[in-house]
Amino acid sequence: MTDLIQRPDMPDGTDGVLDAPIEQHSLWKIRLALFRRSLKANWKLFSSNNVGLAGLVIIGLWAIAAIMPTIFFATGFWSNSVYNPVSGLERNPQTAIVTLVEEKTDPLTEIDRRDMLLDQRIPQDLQIGETFERPLQPAPPDSRHWLGTDPLGRDVMSQLMHGARAAFGLGALAATVTVLIATIVGSVSAYFGGAVDSFFMRLADLLIMIPALAVLIVLGAIIRFELWHLALVIGLLGGFGGVAIVLKSQALAVKVKPFIDAARVAGGSHTHIIFSHLVPNVMPLSFLYMMFTVTGAIQAEATLSFLGLLNVRTSWGLMINLANTEGYLLQGDEYWWLVFPAGMAVTLLAAAFFLVGRAMDEVINPRLRRR
Amino acid sequence: MSKPLLEVDRLVMNYKTEAGYVSAIEDVSFTLHAGESLGLVGESGCGKTSIAMSLLRLLADNAEFLSGEIRLEGTDLLALTEEQMRQRRWSDISMVFQGAMNAWNPVYRVGDQIREAMDLHFRPRLSTKESNDRIERLFNLVGLSPRMAERYPHEFSGGMRQRAIIAMALSCDPKVIIADEPTTALDVIVQDQILQELKKIQAELGMSIIYISHDIAVIAEVTDTIGVMYAGKLVEIGPTTEVFARPRHPYAFLLLSSTPSVTGPRRKLAPLEGEPPNLLDPPPGCRFHPRCPWATEKCRTDVPISEDIGGGHLVACWNWEQVPEIGTMIK
Amino acid sequence: MVRYFTRRLVQMVVLFLVFITLTWFLLYALPGDIVAQKFATNPNLPPEARQIAIDRLGLDKPIHLQFADYMVNFFQGDLGSSFNQYPRPVTDIIGERLPRTIVLFLTALVTYYWAGFIAGKYLAWRRGKRGEIAITVGGVGLFTVFYPWFALIAIWFFAAEMGWLPISKFLDPSKWRQAPFAANEVFMRLFWTVALTSALLFAVQIIASKVRDVRLHRLVRWGGTAAVIVGFFVYWFAVPAGVEMRLYAADIARHMILPVGVLTAVNFAGIMLLTRSSMLETMSEDFILTARAKGLSEKDVRDKHAARTALLPVTTSLVLAVATVLDGGIITETVFSWPGMGEILVSSVTSEDIPVAVAAFSFIGVLALVGHFVVDMLYGVLDPRIRVSGSQ
Repeated sequence: MTDLIQRPDMPDGTDGVLDAPIEQHSLWKIRLALFRRSLKANWKLFSSNNVGLAGLVIIGLWAIAAIMPTIFFATGFWSNSVYNPVSGLERNPQTAIVTLVEEKTDPLTEIDRRDMLLDQRIPQDLQIGETFERPLQPAPPDSRHWLGTDPLGRDVMSQLMHGARAAFGLGALAATVTVLIATIVGSVSAYFGGAVDSFFMRLADLLIMIPALAVLIVLGAIIRFELWHLALVIGLLGGFGGVAIVLKSQALAVKVKPFIDAARVAGGSHTHIIFSHLVPNVMPLSFLYMMFTVTGAIQAEATLSFLGLLNVRTSWGLMINLANTEGYLLQGDEYWWLVFPAGMAVTLLAAAFFLVGRAMDEVINPRLRRR
Repeated sequence: MSKPLLEVDRLVMNYKTEAGYVSAIEDVSFTLHAGESLGLVGESGCGKTSIAMSLLRLLADNAEFLSGEIRLEGTDLLALTEEQMRQRRWSDISMVFQGAMNAWNPVYRVGDQIREAMDLHFRPRLSTKESNDRIERLFNLVGLSPRMAERYPHEFSGGMRQRAIIAMALSCDPKVIIADEPTTALDVIVQDQILQELKKIQAELGMSIIYISHDIAVIAEVTDTIGVMYAGKLVEIGPTTEVFARPRHPYAFLLLSSTPSVTGPRRKLAPLEGEPPNLLDPPPGCRFHPRCPWATEKCRTDVPISEDIGGGHLVACWNWEQVPEIGTMIK
Repeated sequence: MVRYFTRRLVQMVVLFLVFITLTWFLLYALPGDIVAQKFATNPNLPPEARQIAIDRLGLDKPIHLQFADYMVNFFQGDLGSSFNQYPRPVTDIIGERLPRTIVLFLTALVTYYWAGFIAGKYLAWRRGKRGEIAITVGGVGLFTVFYPWFALIAIWFFAAEMGWLPISKFLDPSKWRQAPFAANEVFMRLFWTVALTSALLFAVQIIASKVRDVRLHRLVRWGGTAAVIVGFFVYWFAVPAGVEMRLYAADIARHMILPVGVLTAVNFAGIMLLTRSSMLETMSEDFILTARAKGLSEKDVRDKHAARTALLPVTTSLVLAVATVLDGGIITETVFSWPGMGEILVSSVTSEDIPVAVAAFSFIGVLALVGHFVVDMLYGVLDPRIRVSGSQ
């Protein structure tokens, strides 16, 4: 593994800053230039990986999808009363002609007596063989609702887009917390060693052993679990857990390099050495683990809201939960718009972050590259 | 003179890459007699390891033999099927690898890894007792305690691993051993011990050894013949003493002039300027001409032909007569 | 190895004590916790009832005494009574459910670890050939798939659409009305026969690997395997004790296929991808070249050298996988209404049955710790650098 700054395969600088005498520029300017230079080199490596690029494109598309509702509502393309993901309702739903039969075989065109008794909108004096124009809820996709409506008459596409927003917010927060904690814990453990190191590493051992979902479920019982709570818990579990171990081993590799000794000889304080020398060199790996954390966070959020343990209003997990509890899931071929978009959304976005992470891994870890 | 054991005859090999063909071995010929030792020297990337791997036919998938033959006791190894070749590996040609550290699989006992080779090549199979005896003899031969065979590679020091590698290379009574940088990773004293050990074993068992090294001084002591390679070509080959005393190819001359001699007379060191050529697009004519102080117009267009200048000393250079005696100043 | 073993064992015990302490304080002792809300401060309960609950649960004692009581009881095997199925002891509930979870967990773990390793091995060997990208992308898809959704889709397809397998639950009640056996009895019999069979199969492989003679090796390996499998069928089809239970056992087994299959499929991909990259790293090692030079066939180079060494990092990853599989198990049990520890954890948490929740959580923790310990030992056996020197 290499650090950002010392790449041998960097193209020659195109930045004037680096070619000019050093004392003319402040330190941050030089750092910025170095950073930009290595970014360029790394991008070249990254973009040669098609699968990683595909992941990036998927993330981009979902990001656009997450922004779209704001534009749609602001421009009046979507009205809040119809397209609100929580309270919206299609008042003029599609209708379908249904026939009352003794034993139904096709739920879209036939109903039996039980359905009739359960649904107040159906005239209760219907006879066998008679037809009736039933409002569809859930309704299949049409020009107004591109992905149809859910059992409560809400727009599936709007829910999907708002779900993306939740996923991004959660993922970003969880990943930031994880990496922030893990970088500091890893660097500090590696730098000081001894008791500090032992303490953090035993803690990490404990955390990677505990099934995170079980913890989240139990925590869900104690507190009203909000999205940001979840992000925080995931961040803490990951940050003090597995990610800290990985970043520590990277920090250990950096610690033995001569420039750390040089900084120490020059009289740098512990804090200075950790934050200006150790942390920046652990950064590339941190970014990588941010990607993997996002994957995990998206999955955890969807799972918890699927189990009904998360206090959220729109979420992909919740959409699947609704389809499942209302019994549409076992008719997945007829009600595909309730079953597939949300599930695919979770899978796609999680996979996209994972793929980007894998591609970054190949950039950072040359041993994995194709020879 | 008896029939040669190994003949490499006008071997040409390319690596196929995305950027094009890399001409790794270009028209290389040499012969090796039973009990002889040959050294191949050159800068890294000059094709010496490719030659070693060609002898075992263990090149990467993208390697292509364009022409030439490798004859072992008259059989062309390149014409064998993969299965036939597999049976010849180690029993006919074995190898002492560079970087002994990683040549051992960390999860198996050293003795078992040696036994694995013997189980493949001895027919009928040796019994456990026979193979144990054999490993014991081999370990004694290379100066290791036979008890070490029961240990794992991580329990060996670097020098011990290299000795064990030699024991493994000897395990199936090969006719030829290729020693690819056998001592590069070791400290100087162990280097010398290992080389002396190899020389002694060769005298005892009478097999042929091909030494491969980037350091001409290291193998000069233990070889009968030395070949100098440059950019995929064998530019000079001859008796070691002869090549050392009177290198005739400009590259060999500059290579020897750039290494200080501890025991010989003081002399001016001549730097070797420039870089080895890109083998994706080797220079026309003599491949050394861009760096050669004696290059003429002919060198830029015509590929030099190997010429015997007496006593089995072959040089591939148009102007070998221009090259001064070693130790003389140039320029 | 013994030193390594004892040190790990002590570590596990300490970790377990820490774990159970944290769990208890989290669920019982936080100010305004659920137990207090439910009984001690619940205005809807009549004062006498409130008093009885306080006395029985010891809620008026200082916290450290309550904790001491719990710990003493815990190690005496008394976990209290369930709130919702009062007065059923929690140990009874756990005792019934733990084997069901262990079976799910073990079957899935062993199957996916083995299958993923084999698949990864071939994938790495085929690097750059056709189909590699498709398998990799498929693997990533399976690895990152939204698990509950995937399980539901599997139910929809295999059970609802095709009708091949039961939709959910542990058994089909209509078949069990006349049953002369308790479900648990049959289940445990099934469990022990399968466990014994697997142990014997494993033993046969170990014994065979010690035999150096080629023909005898083959005889021991395949003959032994066949004998063990035949023995398993003889028990269920010819021995009266097995025959009378067979139909019921088959019903339980049928209900297991889908949950185990789904749990295996999802985790399989992770091991496959990991084995692949681990193999790719191993294949560039020098000792692979040594093995080839020795004249080993490609198959032996791959299986005996590359794969054997690539197994080490894959086994390390099992440490993490133990927790992941348990997580997956919780979801699986919930989605399939499989009456195990995960299902009881979710349902007790949502219905605020705290004694059951604490116990379920603790035992999931125990499973994780034991799994972790076993994997550590396995790693020690596989890697001579640990086995021989005893250090990490």
